[in-house]
Amino acid sequence: MKKYLGPLSKDNPILVQTLGVCSALAVTAQLKPAVVMALSVTVVCAFSNLIISLIRNTIPSRIRIIVQLLIVSFWVVLVDLLLQAYFYEISKLLSVFVGLIITNCIIMGRLEAFALSHKPWPSFMDGVMNGLGYGLVLVVVAFFRELLGSGTLWNHQVVPNALYHAGYLNNGLMILPPMALILVGVMIWVRGSGVDR
Amino acid sequence: MRKFSNTYVFLYVSALVLLICVVLASVSIGLKSKREANVTREKYQQILKAAGYKDVPKKKTVSFFQEIAESEKGGKTSEQYHIRCADGNPGIVVRVQGKGLWGPIWGYVVLSEDGSSIKGVSFAHKSETPGLGAKITEDEFTNAFIDKKLYDQNGVFTSVRVVKKGQEGDLLEENRVDAISGATITSRGVDNMMKELRIEN
Repeated sequence: MKKYLGPLSKDNPILVQTLGVCSALAVTAQLKPAVVMALSVTVVCAFSNLIISLIRNTIPSRIRIIVQLLIVSFWVVLVDLLLQAYFYEISKLLSVFVGLIITNCIIMGRLEAFALSHKPWPSFMDGVMNGLGYGLVLVVVAFFRELLGSGTLWNHQVVPNALYHAGYLNNGLMILPPMALILVGVMIWVRGSGVDR
Repeated sequence: MRKFSNTYVFLYVSALVLLICVVLASVSIGLKSKREANVTREKYQQILKAAGYKDVPKKKTVSFFQEIAESEKGGKTSEQYHIRCADGNPGIVVRVQGKGLWGPIWGYVVLSEDGSSIKGVSFAHKSETPGLGAKITEDEFTNAFIDKKLYDQNGVFTSVRVVKKGQEGDLLEENRVDAISGATITSRGVDNMMKELRIEN
């Protein structure tokens, strides 16, 4: 199990490999979409890895990127359809970003670097852990952005009204993408300073 | 890696594409009715919210709407319904639509029977920024529209304008609501959308 834990910190796709930053900035203004996005990426990454690993010996290397894209798109469209049918409200929150999972470099990166050369089960686990490593950063960033930017968590108000009456204001910058970039930067710095060692 | 012939590559990709197409198409068709039901339910939910009904259970939305809808009167260019509002009075539901910052925005406005004032609104959007433009769906914004008038003191149609604080001009309190700070374009979109509001006979 331990060998799969890398993506959570020392090989974290966002904090170490700086992949998938774009969507990390886009969907982290609130916790709920961030969590659903994290789960969607985890599902897509894990199952794409699994499929590619299963058929890895049949894929001609000249067209492997095309094949990878096809498989990733397949899972993304499937996830999108299921969200629309069963979790309609959440699918609206995520809007275009579910479709954009296709272009998430983390997934293509794992397919290319791992699934093409490993057996199905390790590939599946690699996908799950990378998805979770990505999701971890999303959730932390979204936590601070929603708390400081909107005074809520999971759409429930947590900053007491008394504080607002005392003159406290939500930080408008928190809900804008630049602040997400700054927060991700801070996380990279904190991680790089060796807290996980 | 093994070498593969061109024929193999061609057949491989074709088969893969075909397989994926068939699976996705069947899933899409299989879930179509469910997705459409979601869209309809959401529409009715929005109208019910605008009409002042709180806490209608999700599952009962459609039947509840059919109960209070007195007639479905389609305007030439827009949807229009006559319904019974939560306060017991009749109201006219008019659909409005426009553009936000990132995509379409739309909403339902419930007007009093004579069409002069607003009983309630609800807005929705496709992809406005969470925490900024997306706030148009929240009660804090929509409640401001309640009891606003569509005509000024001279009886001229002004609609309900969405304006920034400090830019009210000559607009009366009853003809405007505050824009959302940080969401100028979306607020302007709502403003434009409200200007287009018309009751059709």
